[in-house]
Amino acid sequence: MSEPLDLPLREQAAAVAAGQVGAGELLEAALGRIEARNPALNAIVETFPERSREMLAAAPAGPLHGVPVVIKDEWPLPWRAQRFGAAEMPAETTPGESGPYRALRDAGAVIVGVGNMHELGASSTGNVSVYGPARNPWNPERCPGGSSSGPAAAVAARLVAGAVGADGVGSIRYPAGYCGLTGVKPTFGRSAMDGHHMAGVSTTIVSGPLCADAGDCRLLASVLFGKELRAGDAKGLRIGVIEDEVSEDVAPAVREACEAAIEELRAATGGAVRTIELPELAAATLATVLIANSESLGGLNPERLNSLDPELSPLGRGLLKYRLMLPAAATVKSHQVRTMARQRLAEVFEDVDVIAWPTLPAVAPPLEAPMVELPSGTLTADAANVRGGALANLTGMPAISVPVGSSEGLPIGLQLQAAWGRDELLLDAAEALERANGRRWVEAVPPLVAAEQTGA
Amino acid sequence: MEALNSAGDFIPAALAAFGVEADEIELAVMRAAHEALWPPILELLALDTSAFASERDHDLSQAPPRR
Repeated sequence: MSEPLDLPLREQAAAVAAGQVGAGELLEAALGRIEARNPALNAIVETFPERSREMLAAAPAGPLHGVPVVIKDEWPLPWRAQRFGAAEMPAETTPGESGPYRALRDAGAVIVGVGNMHELGASSTGNVSVYGPARNPWNPERCPGGSSSGPAAAVAARLVAGAVGADGVGSIRYPAGYCGLTGVKPTFGRSAMDGHHMAGVSTTIVSGPLCADAGDCRLLASVLFGKELRAGDAKGLRIGVIEDEVSEDVAPAVREACEAAIEELRAATGGAVRTIELPELAAATLATVLIANSESLGGLNPERLNSLDPELSPLGRGLLKYRLMLPAAATVKSHQVRTMARQRLAEVFEDVDVIAWPTLPAVAPPLEAPMVELPSGTLTADAANVRGGALANLTGMPAISVPVGSSEGLPIGLQLQAAWGRDELLLDAAEALERANGRRWVEAVPPLVAAEQTGA
Repeated sequence: MEALNSAGDFIPAALAAFGVEADEIELAVMRAAHEALWPPILELLALDTSAFASERDHDLSQAPPRR
């Protein structure tokens, strides 16, 4: 029989509500598992058992009553300011009640730890952090993905069943893809965001869930949205695919797995696959990077840049300084590209319900050298990954990454994107895909978890 | 391409204009970022977006108004 902590998030909540599992027992089990498994992964950078016990003691009877969860080091808590994975923040931060914290607290959830993240949220790999890198539970020498590296590694290692991340340029979907999880980047503005140090400034960042499957993401997203995301069906799903580098310049195993999953999804929903065109995609990718970088400049000035904390990585220091040099004309142009991409997508979504392409072009690269081999050659993982991750952040549309395969013992993710406000459809489609493949990929666990479950 | 090759001049000049100091490693990071970003930035600046009127008070949680 499974340990209660191995149950899906929704089943943990149901078991606690039914009195089958004690919430205190669940909390202590989570803390114990973090103590046992986390040293090899560095997914959790801080626990606060007394605070967690206080949260549980005060927890209301909400949809996550007594369920342990993790929150990324991007959100302040009443007892802890976020560090953004960095020795120095671009903005002042203080402890406080962030929107995601309040949403979790009011749902009765118990925050058991803070998840690691890539320094300053600046990469898709997770291999640089003031705490040291988080490691991928499927292979600790590989990148967990970033920037929500710790939340993803924590859920993949079954330290908890759900975690809250943030996605400014793919930062929930990349680690979901690398760690074999389901991760949702909600429609811009739908999920809790206040308290974030860039709330009100950023036009790309959203909070969102990382869980094993779509059912758990539905529950956790409902909490973050403050609204129940009801299940529907994805019958007759019209799936758009593009013949472009995001679908074609990918590792062969990734391409095969994603094409097979798209066909499974089509067959399962009785839908259709249509080829669409997004000629603005390359410009949209760069526009996203420029907008996201320019929006983070507010707290920086030459004096500050000349006194950066020496513990900040050389990469982080260099990139912060380079941001000052980005031409304003390019940022203005980026906003025009945003308009262009949004209008093009609005037309595309008249003909299709979702757009599908690989979340990432290759499986998780080595932590020490995050490069990927693609048909076009060798690229940095960041340069390759951003091609598939940026469009949803630029345009505001929702997206989801779902696990659909494996290569070299490492997960492969498929990304689905939908029109604004159709987050529920993405969850419906992900659940249809899970049913179609017998939940093979959402129930797969990394070797370190499997070994413990079988007592090996 | 001349613009790309000018990274060695552009970065020190820009740093001097801002009064920002940088060590050798930071300079190497900036050169790499510049070489990766500058050519596509120039392409972006040359892109014709005149057919797309800007959205007024755009709301990223919604579809854009129909053209």
